[in-house]
Amino acid sequence: MARILVIEDDATTAREIAMALAGHGHEVVVAQDGTAALQRAIQEHYDAITLDRMLPGMDGLGIVAALRRRRIMTPVLMISALTDVDARIAGLRAGGDDYMIKPFAPNEMAARVEVMLRRAATPGDQAAITVGPLRIDLIRRQVWIDGQPVKLLHMEFRLLAFLAQNAGQIVSRQLIFEQVWGYYFDPGANVINVHIARLRRKLDQPGQPSLITTIKNEGYRFNTGRFDAG
Amino acid sequence: MRGEKLRLRLRDVRLTSVFRLTAILGSTFLIGIVVLLGLIYGLTARELTRRSDYILRQEARQWLAVPAAARQARIAADKGRGDEALSYVALFSRRGERLAGDLGDVALPPADRPIEVEAAGDHGPARLLTVATPDGETIVVGRDITPLRDLRQRLLIILLASGMVTVSGMALAATLLSLEPQRRVRDLQRSAREIAAGRLDTRMPIAGRHDELDQFAQTVNLMVEDVARLMDQVKGVTDAIAHDLRTPLTRVRAQLHRARHLSEGADDLAPLLASAEGDLDLALNRFAALLRISEIEAGARRAAFAPTDMARLLAEIVILYEPLAEEGGITLAADVGALPDISADRHLLFEAISNLVDNAIKFSRGAVTITASVRNAAMIVEISDDGPGIAAGERDAALRRFHRGAKAAGYPGTGLGLSIAAAILTLHGFALELDDAAPGLIARVHIPIA
Repeated sequence: MARILVIEDDATTAREIAMALAGHGHEVVVAQDGTAALQRAIQEHYDAITLDRMLPGMDGLGIVAALRRRRIMTPVLMISALTDVDARIAGLRAGGDDYMIKPFAPNEMAARVEVMLRRAATPGDQAAITVGPLRIDLIRRQVWIDGQPVKLLHMEFRLLAFLAQNAGQIVSRQLIFEQVWGYYFDPGANVINVHIARLRRKLDQPGQPSLITTIKNEGYRFNTGRFDAG
Repeated sequence: MRGEKLRLRLRDVRLTSVFRLTAILGSTFLIGIVVLLGLIYGLTARELTRRSDYILRQEARQWLAVPAAARQARIAADKGRGDEALSYVALFSRRGERLAGDLGDVALPPADRPIEVEAAGDHGPARLLTVATPDGETIVVGRDITPLRDLRQRLLIILLASGMVTVSGMALAATLLSLEPQRRVRDLQRSAREIAAGRLDTRMPIAGRHDELDQFAQTVNLMVEDVARLMDQVKGVTDAIAHDLRTPLTRVRAQLHRARHLSEGADDLAPLLASAEGDLDLALNRFAALLRISEIEAGARRAAFAPTDMARLLAEIVILYEPLAEEGGITLAADVGALPDISADRHLLFEAISNLVDNAIKFSRGAVTITASVRNAAMIVEISDDGPGIAAGERDAALRRFHRGAKAAGYPGTGLGLSIAAAILTLHGFALELDDAAPGLIARVHIPIA
């Protein structure tokens, strides 16, 4: 369980964010005013922060920049109504860890918070991931299923590593595209679907449920065990 | 737009109006000088010839007055007179033999009409007059016209030399006079390009001379200020729309989402909610795409411009789209040689080319080809498919928002992909052109190389 500070001036949106995060088993604290939120973020410990870009009192960019100046490196998910092409860059440059555009699905937001939390908790020099029958050597870029090596192309490996690092978590196609390919536009669902389909063909064993489950309207989930497929 | 160097070039100086005006004025002046000198030359030469002829006639009359018996001796004696070296006289018999005088063998001119000969015996050019004596002999009197010829030649040299000096002086003056206005026009051009590139805080330089260029610059500056003010207003409205619409939409979306989760098990409600959520997402995506086009079109996002490896970017796009093409039974092939780096926003350019490739795959029947090469200081990237193509008259409209071609019915899409690509490419100063692949469509991107 993580402790998360939600900084959002719109009460309904704040409630929805809080409920989605609570649904993932996190403790949520909501702050609606920029200046007060910054005080809390400085004085108390949080594992992650979701931060609206436009706030009364103090701008979201100002808050994240102020935190980073004080060497408070809590992961920050910036949430904004601004789609301005420069807004994301400005948000990330100010010190945000991820950037999300309104309106968003609360689950997607929660998934992004999970990804941030996991990244913060994972040592930077993590060498291997083991999930269920799968073992990934991140340094040699090799993959085994039940001890059998699997040959993957470069992007397939990155895709699998991202899914496995967030095993058990629903990740949206948009999040996959941003994190694996590093671009921030909507390439269309099919583009990601076919990459997942290819990966499945290489990983899945006949007669066994797939390692990757499709969650309708939401995205994909990498299963932590063979038999927890939903 | 960018990459084209703004330098002062003599070739351009030639085209300036100052140069043209100076040249016209200079030419008029030159023609005047030529006419004047020509007139002086013509009149002088005519007068000298007239005098020469008068003297010849006087001399001829004098010789005719000499009695026939003494004529031969007098002419022979006259030959010896040194002070008359410029005038000649000779006496010819009825049969044309020279009886006396200092003219060599010379073809006798017709009587009573002075003519010029290039050589008269040992002498140089001369003017000769022939008169017949009453006893049938012929007297030829002549005058050396070398001084006259010299004068003519000198006048001609003066004419040519002054003409050449005038022409070169004029060219020099025209060039020097053109340089300053040319320099100012170049500065104005530079500012105009910066403004066109979206830097609306740039102003046209004003030299303070209150001349026509300054007046023009002031007018443009006023226009730019107006445009900047309007753009700010539009941007403000866009941001307000974005914020005011998105916040309630975020609530709706979140509540729908929760309602769907709460309704799990309620078989009649869940599909309805899922469908509502899907439709809302579709509307939001289009809304986002529209705002995005407006922002790209209005924006001057140069901060993220950096040297970009196009070959690598195209390779990434092929990797991204190859599975999608393969699933549709389409071959996606790329033929990309060595390419120089270009100045671009890698993220936006990736999105633009991706949209073109996505579009090509969507309409292709069997093959999509990406080629990139450098031709005439431009990089040309072509994405061609073998689909139904777009009719020549419809191609411009295809780049406009929400346009769905006549042949696009039955294909998925919002009709915004090509518009987004066009907006991004225009922002970069690249040109997007749609062409016939016979059959199919070629989307051709022209990228000027600095």
